[in-house]
Amino acid sequence: MTVPLIALIDLDAFFAQIEQYETPEYRGQPVIIGGKPGGRGVVSTASYEARIFGVHSAMPINMAHRLWPDGIYLRSDMAKYTEYSKRICEVLYNITPVVDQASVDEFYLDLSGMERLAGTPRELGLRCKELIKEQIGLTCSIGIGPNRLIAKLASEYRKPDGLTIVNSGQVQQFLDPLPLKALRGVGKKTLARIAKLNVTTVGQLRQRYTLIELQQAVGEQTGGSLYHQARGNYQARRVSHKSRKSISKETTFSADVSDQQQLKKTMQRLAFNVARSLRKKEFRGDVITIRVRLADFTTSTRQRKLSEPIDSDVDIARIGWELFELNGYKDKSLRLIGIGVVIADEKNTNDESEKTQMDLFSVPGMESKGAENEGDEVVTAIDEILNKFGEDSIRRGG
Amino acid sequence: MRFEISRDALLKPLLAICGVVEKRQTLPILANVLIQIEGNRAIFTGTDLEIQLKTEITLNQSIDEPMELTLPARKLTDICRNLPDESLITFTLEKNRTVVRSGKSRFSLTQLPPQDFPSMDSVTGMTNFSISQASLKKLFEKTHFCMANQDVRYYLNGLLFETNGNKITCVATDGHRLALMSSEISDSLSEQQIIIPRKGVSELQRLLVDSDDGCEITLNNNFLQAKFDSTIFSAKLIDGRFPDYTRVIPDIDESNKIMEADREQLKQALIRTSVLSNEKYRGIRFLLNENRLSLTINNPEQEEAEEEVEVNYPYQEELEIGFNVSYLIDALNAFSDEKVLIRFTNSDSSCLILSKKEEGVKYVVMPMKL
Repeated sequence: MTVPLIALIDLDAFFAQIEQYETPEYRGQPVIIGGKPGGRGVVSTASYEARIFGVHSAMPINMAHRLWPDGIYLRSDMAKYTEYSKRICEVLYNITPVVDQASVDEFYLDLSGMERLAGTPRELGLRCKELIKEQIGLTCSIGIGPNRLIAKLASEYRKPDGLTIVNSGQVQQFLDPLPLKALRGVGKKTLARIAKLNVTTVGQLRQRYTLIELQQAVGEQTGGSLYHQARGNYQARRVSHKSRKSISKETTFSADVSDQQQLKKTMQRLAFNVARSLRKKEFRGDVITIRVRLADFTTSTRQRKLSEPIDSDVDIARIGWELFELNGYKDKSLRLIGIGVVIADEKNTNDESEKTQMDLFSVPGMESKGAENEGDEVVTAIDEILNKFGEDSIRRGG
Repeated sequence: MRFEISRDALLKPLLAICGVVEKRQTLPILANVLIQIEGNRAIFTGTDLEIQLKTEITLNQSIDEPMELTLPARKLTDICRNLPDESLITFTLEKNRTVVRSGKSRFSLTQLPPQDFPSMDSVTGMTNFSISQASLKKLFEKTHFCMANQDVRYYLNGLLFETNGNKITCVATDGHRLALMSSEISDSLSEQQIIIPRKGVSELQRLLVDSDDGCEITLNNNFLQAKFDSTIFSAKLIDGRFPDYTRVIPDIDESNKIMEADREQLKQALIRTSVLSNEKYRGIRFLLNENRLSLTINNPEQEEAEEEVEVNYPYQEELEIGFNVSYLIDALNAFSDEKVLIRFTNSDSSCLILSKKEEGVKYVVMPMKL
């Protein structure tokens, strides 16, 4: 039987590194991606130079700015980063056909059984780094181990530009000295709960506590997860097959907004973008959701299930606005507003009843649309213009 | 401040209000009923911001000082419902609460400020007329079940209410089938079309009784108000244009094939065969031969139901057509006449269901391709 061998390729400070690669003047400088100071954004990535000053991701931009006012603050350009991500994925296919992209900057490679063909794990790892450096221009950290957990922990072991290999025989030796916070899913809250156990390293945790004791101390799920992680067992996250994809857009206002017209216009604009993404992927949505954050930060979502899937921005915006009014957000001051759709099941989209039950109003010359409702021709025309002249070429009027 | 009402007098307005009050409200006060006491009148109001119901009862006593309070509608109704018949209920207003006492029971309920209770402005209308409660109820009963539910074509999620001369027409359609009923009234009215939202139709239908007592209707472009007995019902209208229904009602043509059937017999046959229909598509196949109708239904489990019904169908030519069986059952249920007539054009066109005695009622059902 082949020994399983998994590598995790993690791009170092991905967004910041891309900007540094594209603009040589930024190299060696603290680059902070996420928005301009003064706004309400958070840091999405800080370059290693910026991390020295304590700037880290998820920190509000303004706080980062207080820590290091001279940093280079850039707005994130997701389209560009996604493009890089795609290219990296292509490069990795040269190593193995089994590439699983875990996030925009993380890729799991299954290298099982490749040793005889392509070399030792170290050689394979070096090859990945070389290819990405040569063809993309970026550095990455790689962890290689017998499963995804070990690969991930190993990739974090030495950063940036690291390569850490943990053979199946060395797993326990690698894990035992690690601090508990290195484990997956251990954040501030779990750490506080673990504190009473009086252990600091993975090894101590493993040797001193049984599964039951751990579960009693920190809860069933976290306890179970810690127990298995401490032994280097990888448990695939259970993915619910029921979960459906959704598309949504939201915006945080630079100052709280209570003007109905402005809110409605914003919702229409967001719905336009949602509908556009939906149609590009040839999907339709049958649940409309809205998300609202009030001035006092209370955040809520409301949704409505539709009897039939739709993809028109006018309909999405209208239902979104109905939900908005129905839920008493009128006259409220808003910090954030968002709208989205849950993509209808493929099965529903090609609903047989749609095909077989004939519609009273689809008889030629008889449209069920009232005078104020536009036909599909308008949407098709909008899509054609957007395709031809770019995503910003046309907008709906007020 | 206190007042007394008998349980039986209180229960009726409360039950009516509960239909209007949404189970999940957006504003806490919408879960409440507003009670206003003026002299010997007690006025109850409930709303979900789309529809509002105001109804009043007479008290046995007269209260000197007017009072206003709002109490959780469902809780108050459930308390009332579970008290013995003919018990007397005393309400005592305290700061932020109201104590409800009856016999040896005592309930202390949270009270929200009455000035926060959203009230709809009274409707001033462009059109005013009177119609008997029974006639209005019938207009709704014959058509309401064809309204769409949560359809993207939001103007179908309600009932078209059309006035023209001395004719009132109600139309409901979900795009697959359509129901229409016209009724004559004595007043002569201008031409107007409004769309009453689903919930407004079902609540109003529930409140109306089969009596010749009048119901005063006031309409404008945004609201409908119906005044009857001691009740005022208001509904915000759907702002949209209803499709031109006259174009989808098939023309009565010489070439139509007319099937006459015993309504109850046909309905029972449809219900029996529908047991084996595909739960989702509900398709049924009609095969018409001279004076004979064969019904066939299949489901994905390859099960099959067949039934033959004797009908009056004086044609040699065979006609095969598919339908959603539920649509037909709904339509047959809505008639009261012994016989029904179904007019067919061909396999790809809608059929028209009529009854000789109920002239103003029409159902149009689009076929299914099976």
